[in-house]
Amino acid sequence: MSVLLEREEQLELELTGEPIAAPATGSVLLHLALAGAVAAFYFVNISHNLWGGPNVGGAIQVNLVSSAIPLPSDVPPNQNVLATEKPSPAPAPPEPKTAAPKIDDAIPITGKKEPIKPQPTPQKQQKLPQPQQQNKAVYGEQAANNLPRAVQGQTNPGPTSITQGDFGTRFAWYVDGINRKMSQVWNKFEVDPRTPKGARVFIIFPISRNGQPGNPQLDRSSGSPTLDRSCLRAVQRVDTFGALPNGYNGSNLNVSYYCEY
Amino acid sequence: MKVKIPCLCLLLVALIAVSASLNAQDWVHAGTNLGNARIRLGAADFKPVGADPQTPALKATFDATLFNDLQNAGIFDMVSKSMAPQGTPGSQQEINLGQWSADPAKAEMVAFGALSSNGGRLVVYGFLDDTRNTQSPQVLTQQYNEASSQEMARTVAHRFADAIIERLGGGINGIAETKIYFVSNRTGTKEIWAMDYDGQNQHQITHLGSISISPRISPDNSRIAFASLGTGGWAIRMYSLELGRMVSFPGGTTGGNNQSPAWSADGSKVSFSSGRTGDPEIWVADASGGNLRKLTSFRGPDVSPTWNPRTNAQIAWVSGRTGLPQIYIMDQDGANVQRMTDGGYAISPSWHPNGAMLTFSWNRKYGPGAPGGQDIYVMDIASKRWMQLTHESGSNDFPSWSPDGRHIVFERTVGRHTQLWTMLADGTQQQELTRGGDNFMPNWSWK
Repeated sequence: MSVLLEREEQLELELTGEPIAAPATGSVLLHLALAGAVAAFYFVNISHNLWGGPNVGGAIQVNLVSSAIPLPSDVPPNQNVLATEKPSPAPAPPEPKTAAPKIDDAIPITGKKEPIKPQPTPQKQQKLPQPQQQNKAVYGEQAANNLPRAVQGQTNPGPTSITQGDFGTRFAWYVDGINRKMSQVWNKFEVDPRTPKGARVFIIFPISRNGQPGNPQLDRSSGSPTLDRSCLRAVQRVDTFGALPNGYNGSNLNVSYYCEY
Repeated sequence: MKVKIPCLCLLLVALIAVSASLNAQDWVHAGTNLGNARIRLGAADFKPVGADPQTPALKATFDATLFNDLQNAGIFDMVSKSMAPQGTPGSQQEINLGQWSADPAKAEMVAFGALSSNGGRLVVYGFLDDTRNTQSPQVLTQQYNEASSQEMARTVAHRFADAIIERLGGGINGIAETKIYFVSNRTGTKEIWAMDYDGQNQHQITHLGSISISPRISPDNSRIAFASLGTGGWAIRMYSLELGRMVSFPGGTTGGNNQSPAWSADGSKVSFSSGRTGDPEIWVADASGGNLRKLTSFRGPDVSPTWNPRTNAQIAWVSGRTGLPQIYIMDQDGANVQRMTDGGYAISPSWHPNGAMLTFSWNRKYGPGAPGGQDIYVMDIASKRWMQLTHESGSNDFPSWSPDGRHIVFERTVGRHTQLWTMLADGTQQQELTRGGDNFMPNWSWK
């Protein structure tokens, strides 16, 4: 009987609802209080910071300084005739080959003496930070160079210069004169007849303002000493190419010349 | 001190800037096969300015002389007058370069300008434009203001032509104002004559009434040395162009057989052939005729010396020590004798202005019935390779280089008549300069 009574009490206890109103109210009040505290803190402290705001003192003015400071250009001047503005991507570098695991427990062949190799002292390899490899072709790019240079014109048969001075374009007649004069003084018969046809030797020489050529120097050999020498001699034979044009302000003119057999 | 440091810095910066601008230099690239063809050059008729009655005649002389000079230069492909555009542009504003660069003229360069004769003065403005360069076509501008005469119109044309040749020819000194001295018998006796390089303005220099040959003009164009037959035999004599009369040359009279004088490049010495010791040998004397020295002493005649104009340290001459005359070279003190020709009959050497080549007259197969004749040859001294310039046209002798080294004047005998001719040093553009009488032994002036 008593067991029955206990079960009934238990059942009664389970069936009657729990008193949640009071804790829920407390919770809501607590959250409201927290929100209120945050809002109050903002209004009391942070609202006075005007950084970045539209009011006076809240914004700063910035000026571009690129015009004042001579920053290096993003793209180096590219004077290579093979250059392109968009270097083409090269094929991805091959995967590093995984070295075959060395089998240390190989049985030495009897009767064969392994020569004693001088063992290099093991050096502690420092792990250097590897630069990130750029997956693009490296040709066509070269370091920026302030020397004015000229390149062979793509459209004109005559040599042209891409520098601001642009001697070849402004004074094409003078460059023609150099060609003419050199062709006259170059003695082809000085060249060994075994020299392959089409062999070229490149030489460089300066021309001073009064038109006299300076000491010629071999720039790229043709492989034939007689051809190289004949081309250098040709320059030495020239007394003058004629005074440099009056409109040209440079102190002298550098000429890259080739003799083609 | 605080003030000085910024000052020094500023100075340094300024110095760097100045040196950078001074050292500014361009590069050009050139090569043997990049166009060495002749320059296509147009010469427009000059524009007559003013109403002076002399102007048309002066202009005609000027135009003709300029065109001939440019054509004779050997470096231009001239636009013929019939292909030239109409009109006479007189200034940069009036020239239409497009017309000149288009067919049929196709000129790369145009020479043009204006000519006026006013108050006894001849004023010429000459221009040279590059038709391919539309941005800055002007290559040359010249202005001349001289006394007005036909002769001066020719001279001014010569000077303008020389300026164009100098500019476009890579520093070649034009020869339009050079002279040629020669021997002519048109007065009955052989006398020394002179003419312009193109055969114009021929005039007599000496009036000795004897036989005068082998004229050689001094490097400064002041005196002519020549061999003349006098009472004591052949003597080297001097004529001063400045004084207009004979001057003494005592070293050249002894012995009675003095011939073929030659000036050293600095004009301080004269070498000649003299037989005063019995055998004709090469002698050298000061330009005043003193300080005689003998350079050669071999059996057989040694004649016709010529100095290396470049080094002034070598002499080429003709020696008959092995029989037939051959060309030899030696140092000016007589050392390092070297034979240049390997046979035949070689005479009359003349040394190229740059010292690298000789021209001479050579009959390579000398003898009765042998083929070929006396022709003009050019030899590269270092390699001894030679090139024949004249072929099967009379007998050719006494070649003489022009000062630009691009032309040769020589005498040519066809039948019974001997006349003077010029040609380019490759044998092309041969033209006859003289017509009257017989004319011999030309010598081109040094400048």
